[in-house]
Amino acid sequence: MNDMLQGKRFLGAVGMSVLLALVLCGTALGQQPAPGQQIDVSGRVTAPDGERIRGASVRIRGTTTSAITDDEGKYSLTAPSDAVLVFNRIGYRGVGVSVGGRTTVNVVMERAVTVLPEVVVTGYTTQKRADITGAVATVDVAGIQQQTSTSVLQRLDGQVPGVTVEAGGSPGSRTTVRIRGVSSFQNNDPLYIVDGTPVQDTYLNWLSPSEIGSIQVLKDASAASIYGSRASNGVVIIETRRGRPGPRRVSLDVRTGVATPTHGMDDILTLNALDYFKVVKTSYENAGTAVPRNIYGDPNNPTVPAYIWPNDGKGQSCSAAGPTCTTVVDPASYKYPSTLIMPGSPGTNWWKAVFGSGQYRDANLAVSGGGEDNAYHVSFNFLDQEGTAAFTRLQRGGVRINTAFNMGRTSVGENVALSRERHYGGLDDDALGEDNIIGKNIMQQPVVPVYDINGYFASGKAVGLSNLTNPLKIADAHQHDISTNDRIFGNVFAGFDAAHDLSLKTRLGFNLGQNSFHGFSPTTPENSEVTDVNGINENYNLFTEWTWSNTLNYTHTINQHNLAVLLGQEATKNTNRFEAGSCANLLNPDVDSRYIQDALCDPTTKNVSSSGGQASLLSYFGKADYNFADKYYLSVTLRRDGSSRLGPQNQWGTFPAVGAGWRLSRESFLSHNSLFSNMMLRFGWGVTGNQQIPAGRIVSQFGGDRGDTFYDIGGTSPTTIRPGFKQTAIGNVDLKWEEQRSTNVGLDLEFLEGRGTFSADVYRRNTNNLLFDPRTPAAAGSAAPPIVNIGKMRNQGIDFSIGYRSSTGGTLWSVTFNGSHYRNKILQIDNLGTESFTGPISLREQNPVINMLGEPIGAFYGLVADGYYKDSLDAAPFWDDGARPGRIKFKDLNGDGTITGADRAIIGSPHPDFTGGLDLNLRRGAWEVSATVLGTFGNQIFNAQKYWYVFRYFDTNVRSDLLANSVVLDGPCAPAPSPRTDYICPGKVTNPDAKYPRLDNSDAAFSRQFSSYWIEDGSYVRLRNLQVAYNLPPAWIRWVPAARVYVQAENLFTITGYSGLDPALPAWSTFGAAGDIRDQFRGVDEGSYPSNRTFTIGISTTF
Amino acid sequence: MKQQDRNRLLYGMAVVMLAAGVAYACKDFLNIPAQGTVIEQSLETKAGVEGSLIAAYRSLDCSSSSAGSWGCAASNWVWGSVPSGDAHKGSNAGDQQPINDIETFSWAVGEAEGYLNQKWSQAYEGVFRANATLNLLKRVQTLKPLEISTTDANSIKGEALFLRAHYHFEAYRMWGHIPYYFEADTTPVTLGGFRKANDLPLDSIVKLVIADLNSAIALLPAKPRNGDLGRATSWTAKAYKGRVQVYGAVRTPALWDSALATLRDVQANGPFKLETSFDHVWTGFTQYRNGPETILAFQASIKDGEPSGWNSNWGERLNFPHSGSHFGCCGFHQPSYQLVNFFAVDATGLPLALTNPNWNGTSGLTAAQGDTNFAAGAPGSLAPVDPRLDWTVGRDRVPYKDWGLHARGWIRDASYSGPFSPKKNVHEQGANAENNVGWQATQTNDVNIHIFRYADLLLLLAEAEIHATTGVLDNARTIVNQIRARAGKVAQGCGTITDTILTKAWPTCKTDAAIQPMAIPLVAVTPTLDTLATPWAVYKIGLYTTPFISVAQADSAVQYERRLELAMEGQRFFDLRRWRIADTEINSYITRERTRIPYLAGVTYTARDSLYPIPSIQLDLAPLLVQNPGW
Repeated sequence: MNDMLQGKRFLGAVGMSVLLALVLCGTALGQQPAPGQQIDVSGRVTAPDGERIRGASVRIRGTTTSAITDDEGKYSLTAPSDAVLVFNRIGYRGVGVSVGGRTTVNVVMERAVTVLPEVVVTGYTTQKRADITGAVATVDVAGIQQQTSTSVLQRLDGQVPGVTVEAGGSPGSRTTVRIRGVSSFQNNDPLYIVDGTPVQDTYLNWLSPSEIGSIQVLKDASAASIYGSRASNGVVIIETRRGRPGPRRVSLDVRTGVATPTHGMDDILTLNALDYFKVVKTSYENAGTAVPRNIYGDPNNPTVPAYIWPNDGKGQSCSAAGPTCTTVVDPASYKYPSTLIMPGSPGTNWWKAVFGSGQYRDANLAVSGGGEDNAYHVSFNFLDQEGTAAFTRLQRGGVRINTAFNMGRTSVGENVALSRERHYGGLDDDALGEDNIIGKNIMQQPVVPVYDINGYFASGKAVGLSNLTNPLKIADAHQHDISTNDRIFGNVFAGFDAAHDLSLKTRLGFNLGQNSFHGFSPTTPENSEVTDVNGINENYNLFTEWTWSNTLNYTHTINQHNLAVLLGQEATKNTNRFEAGSCANLLNPDVDSRYIQDALCDPTTKNVSSSGGQASLLSYFGKADYNFADKYYLSVTLRRDGSSRLGPQNQWGTFPAVGAGWRLSRESFLSHNSLFSNMMLRFGWGVTGNQQIPAGRIVSQFGGDRGDTFYDIGGTSPTTIRPGFKQTAIGNVDLKWEEQRSTNVGLDLEFLEGRGTFSADVYRRNTNNLLFDPRTPAAAGSAAPPIVNIGKMRNQGIDFSIGYRSSTGGTLWSVTFNGSHYRNKILQIDNLGTESFTGPISLREQNPVINMLGEPIGAFYGLVADGYYKDSLDAAPFWDDGARPGRIKFKDLNGDGTITGADRAIIGSPHPDFTGGLDLNLRRGAWEVSATVLGTFGNQIFNAQKYWYVFRYFDTNVRSDLLANSVVLDGPCAPAPSPRTDYICPGKVTNPDAKYPRLDNSDAAFSRQFSSYWIEDGSYVRLRNLQVAYNLPPAWIRWVPAARVYVQAENLFTITGYSGLDPALPAWSTFGAAGDIRDQFRGVDEGSYPSNRTFTIGISTTF
Repeated sequence: MKQQDRNRLLYGMAVVMLAAGVAYACKDFLNIPAQGTVIEQSLETKAGVEGSLIAAYRSLDCSSSSAGSWGCAASNWVWGSVPSGDAHKGSNAGDQQPINDIETFSWAVGEAEGYLNQKWSQAYEGVFRANATLNLLKRVQTLKPLEISTTDANSIKGEALFLRAHYHFEAYRMWGHIPYYFEADTTPVTLGGFRKANDLPLDSIVKLVIADLNSAIALLPAKPRNGDLGRATSWTAKAYKGRVQVYGAVRTPALWDSALATLRDVQANGPFKLETSFDHVWTGFTQYRNGPETILAFQASIKDGEPSGWNSNWGERLNFPHSGSHFGCCGFHQPSYQLVNFFAVDATGLPLALTNPNWNGTSGLTAAQGDTNFAAGAPGSLAPVDPRLDWTVGRDRVPYKDWGLHARGWIRDASYSGPFSPKKNVHEQGANAENNVGWQATQTNDVNIHIFRYADLLLLLAEAEIHATTGVLDNARTIVNQIRARAGKVAQGCGTITDTILTKAWPTCKTDAAIQPMAIPLVAVTPTLDTLATPWAVYKIGLYTTPFISVAQADSAVQYERRLELAMEGQRFFDLRRWRIADTEINSYITRERTRIPYLAGVTYTARDSLYPIPSIQLDLAPLLVQNPGW
């Protein structure tokens, strides 16, 4: 006892010095029992739906004293008043409960099959599920733990109504989570709160999904506004697993599997070299120009050449043999890199050359337990995931320690995770874009071999073989490009139970990250566009964020009046520093010599730089929850946030919210109905804020860049290069909070004795003062435009979920369907002088995206395609613009007689009309089957891959049906050398329903103008997950109390009409001067790493 | 219990201290300065002003903040060369399609918008940086009167004003109706600034440019400050003023007299001279960099610590032979058949086009003179050409500077855009002018990009001699002859004897030392005619021996010379517009050229093409701007 007091005193000192004080929520509330006294304890064990559990064992921890529940689920026994009762029952999750002096201990046991937990963690505190008036969804953790993606974020896909997830298939890829659409031109990522510590991270790879205990999604402002400043896009609260009072549990989960791409380009592209040549030949002939002979020889009798790039390449593309056109190839003259010899290939399958299967391994070992005054959970995990593309891989290892110590009224503890990830393969975020592994590089022509005659990588060096890079070479060269992320994330906390109904809590959260990247870029002597300089680049980023929050909780109940008050204060600061260096022309390109040192590379190419950022937030908040008789609910929240990112006059924002609930089922007029066991109406209104812009933008910035403002004024190249300065960013001292007002009306129903549940929420989110950096006129210079508060946007929609569970003949089954719909609309754009601005990325000079008043953010914009010009009469009005029979016909929307940019219109939207997820669970005896199907409907994809596989830009490979399915004319339409007035095209279209325009080499730009021809329906339905599991009986293996073995498949099938590789597109990593603007460029397929079809087997055991 | 009370006290204190700590920490908690940048005040020094001026110079060519397309190139190859008949877009059909739109005057597709905007932005970025320098200088002079010496301050101001004039003039050449920005235009863009109307009459824009140049002339030293050869001097500004006056004379004929006075002054008293031989004009050899012919050039630099090669000849980097060559990419800016044929000369070494209406070939593809010049027969049967042809155009079977034999394998898609390669902007193998960083380092070099050179000035002077009331017609002949005489100094030689393809094709390169150098002298046959026969060409260039007797005769001689001398330098389209012959010249060019280049079928130059359209994005951003007629 004395020791304990000593401990308290010691703790007090710590509390003062570190300024930590107070209670771990929920563990220390209530009265202090008189320890050791024997009391009679009884109670009832039920399932969450109220079903009474018979035959559950109730044991006093550390003793053999136990009891079994009766038919009514009741038990009684005599136990010390400080004992811990351990409840067990097959098919349910074991529970340990402290008696804590009580004489009645009722316990709810969760089924192993999905059930909603009763208590959920919301802002800074916990609430009973039933008491929540905001739109809060609880994620089925068991369901997400079945999946294999590295990040938990990807596993949220289809789990929660209103939450959409986009990610690519590369290991550890970035994830775009959106809650109820998009509300800002800037970053729309939700705020993640991991064990109480806020974090904004689109990967969250350092958090092993197997460590997650619960996830709540706060969707509306009345729930989220307690997190005020960063809650505009919703809040995802993740709690990691905690130890529970009870015997030590050791659990081991091991699984392994194999992943393959869900779909391959080899299903799409031409695989035979001579078939490809037919496309080339037709394109040239239709254009009336000579067919190239340099690869296949006589166009009328083409052959796969022995060499596409002989030793003496300079005569490669001559049209006929002659003195400069060498046809004799002497392999002995081969010399790397100057004299390459590449054999012709009858048909290289480039997809297969790069993509195959990838191994997956994941192991997690956790030890947890605790006594009445402590709890611990320690876990170790390791994951090794090979990508389906060659040489791509992710490895992750992590340790987590979560402990809590309870010393009378005081509790302290910490949740700490250490993790390291290593990504191999140096892929940009999801390998997007034409120069990455997929992009157009997978569209190498089939005649190009993978290797030259000496085993070096080959490529299309000869004229007409495209300017691509060998994709396997890219993969190979980048295999030692390693990105390492080390992370220490967690918090220490202390709580103090000041009085019976008053508790104080302090928590210091920290997020320390260290990232490094080492990359190599090879020489490409085999390429058409040779890079003859190799180089390395490395960078380091040190990131520190701390959040210190202090809260005071007051709860009071008088009769049927229940009041809970929360007051708090929070400070957050983050700092990062980024250092980068590069050097070219390595003396030795071996991986062990890739260091930036003067002797190892050309020192004149050495380049280093560093940059950094700092930002802080300060907040005060309060919340009061009141309910009367669990019937009428009212909650009021007020938060004030100050942000260093905003102007001094506007740093502070106030974010109020109210929520109200009415449990109709408790009213007398409904209390006796037999259909509904619960019926609750909820209403919420609140304001949230957004300040996700780069720090330091309230002032104008000056600086420069060696490649932009420096100049060799002395004219000596390079000795007189002098520094130059310019304005780099225009500041706006009036920057203020982007504010969102959201209204939510919800209804929760439970019916058929709790077997059925229904929940629906209708919402409207209006964002004002949208933060954006509208383009400035060129006369204002190239400085980054000022970020201003310019407009309004609205999202409205509905989320619902409906579930039913039952047992039929000994089979326990449940089905849950969730769905959501939202509509995004830009309501106002100020300051621009126009009612629209184009998207942030132009693809080869054309911009497919516009943000326009009255339309959703990131809508697709282009001409309206209307079949093909059927003959010269049809094309005549637009002949000067490039119209010809067989080319794509565009609508002259403004009727001015020409096809111009002024005829563009909104041609599609990446926003889905409906997204839904279906969860099925079946349990019979020891067998369990679960499946998740998800679907997205009505969204469109801008298939930018058509540049390559339809329009053959840069002589890429094409779709295998291009020749067979393109427009054919019944006569010629090649340009004739005659005056324009006589320009007649006798050919008429014979197949107006063809999928592709006429193959025509002279149609280099007309048909491929961005138009609705590029738009495709992106709807798909995918079997996300299917798992069959068998629960081994506890005694089956002596030393294993329980084990679960399973086989599982992910993305087993996809139903879609999309013609590209994968309709599940990741969002581009798109940054503007004002931050992350991914949402202005969604649904554009520029070639990304496809989703994986993964098969795994695994076992989970508990000792 | 007592212990517990004490504990309670302790915790109470902790809470109080916590609150105090928080309150203290908050005082400055939210005031965080921007990181990794400087505020304007830190530039209020001499170094800051000088740096600001350097940045204003840097806008002469594409930079890392402006590029994205090649509309920003200092040489104007996209705007001045490609649509003029000098060159085709080049490369293959798909690559950089916007330039194809520009070449074919078909703006419907809208891809060229990005190029237009690039050029507009590049020009106004220069204006903005120049004005920023002027304002910063003024502030430093007020705040710290002793910081910058008067001499330096005058020159800085003069240089900035010169650059402001140049950038506005570039925009004027493109669009005519442009807004003019002064250093006093400082209304923040958030308050509607930088959205001026373009409602000035064209002649008053010229006046504004000249006014800035006059101020610059008064302020600038005669020799470049600090010996920095890239800087403008009073002579640079004066020469430039003559150029602007010639352009202005199109609308204000009285300016011919002013131009004549200005240009004669530069000719008589200025520091500029013609290079001794034509191969020294566009070159990577350091000894000829910023030679006497340079009036204004973008000072390209390589190996300067910039990791992507931005400070090299960025705007020209696509304009190299394609994959069969050393450069590897990308085959843009290919000379037209017509341009090649234009170099054909008659027996007296004068342009064949002066006398023979069939100078541009008589039938289709195969008979084009451009092909037959070198394709067949013994040396004696080769049609004679101006030696500048092979310094301007890469032709098959002709040595390509010192890189060996130009071959068809160097051409990306000859059926699309012909068999020729650009040559002027290409560095010599022996010049050590190639970069070593970034994508395709083989095509970044430090060959300076001439924006205005003395031969250009002389030919403008020749025009002024013809048209000014005080001009002397025959002075034009003297100037043309001066230029032709220089052109007759050297012709392309073998360049290298290590290239086996070359020595196989032309074995004499191995044996005849006289033709082995890259540049070999022509032989004077008569005082007015130089000639040289190499295995691959017969070079011949003669002088105009009879005095010019009519304005028309003089005009055509000067105009022909201007094309020959400045071919592929981004000037011709602006010249054709200035001479008001763009419609006839370009349309007649297309009529023939489309028999060789199929995509030119159906192309016409129309009235609206006399001014480029203002990029629509800028019209959107600055609503007071009015689009040019016809667009």
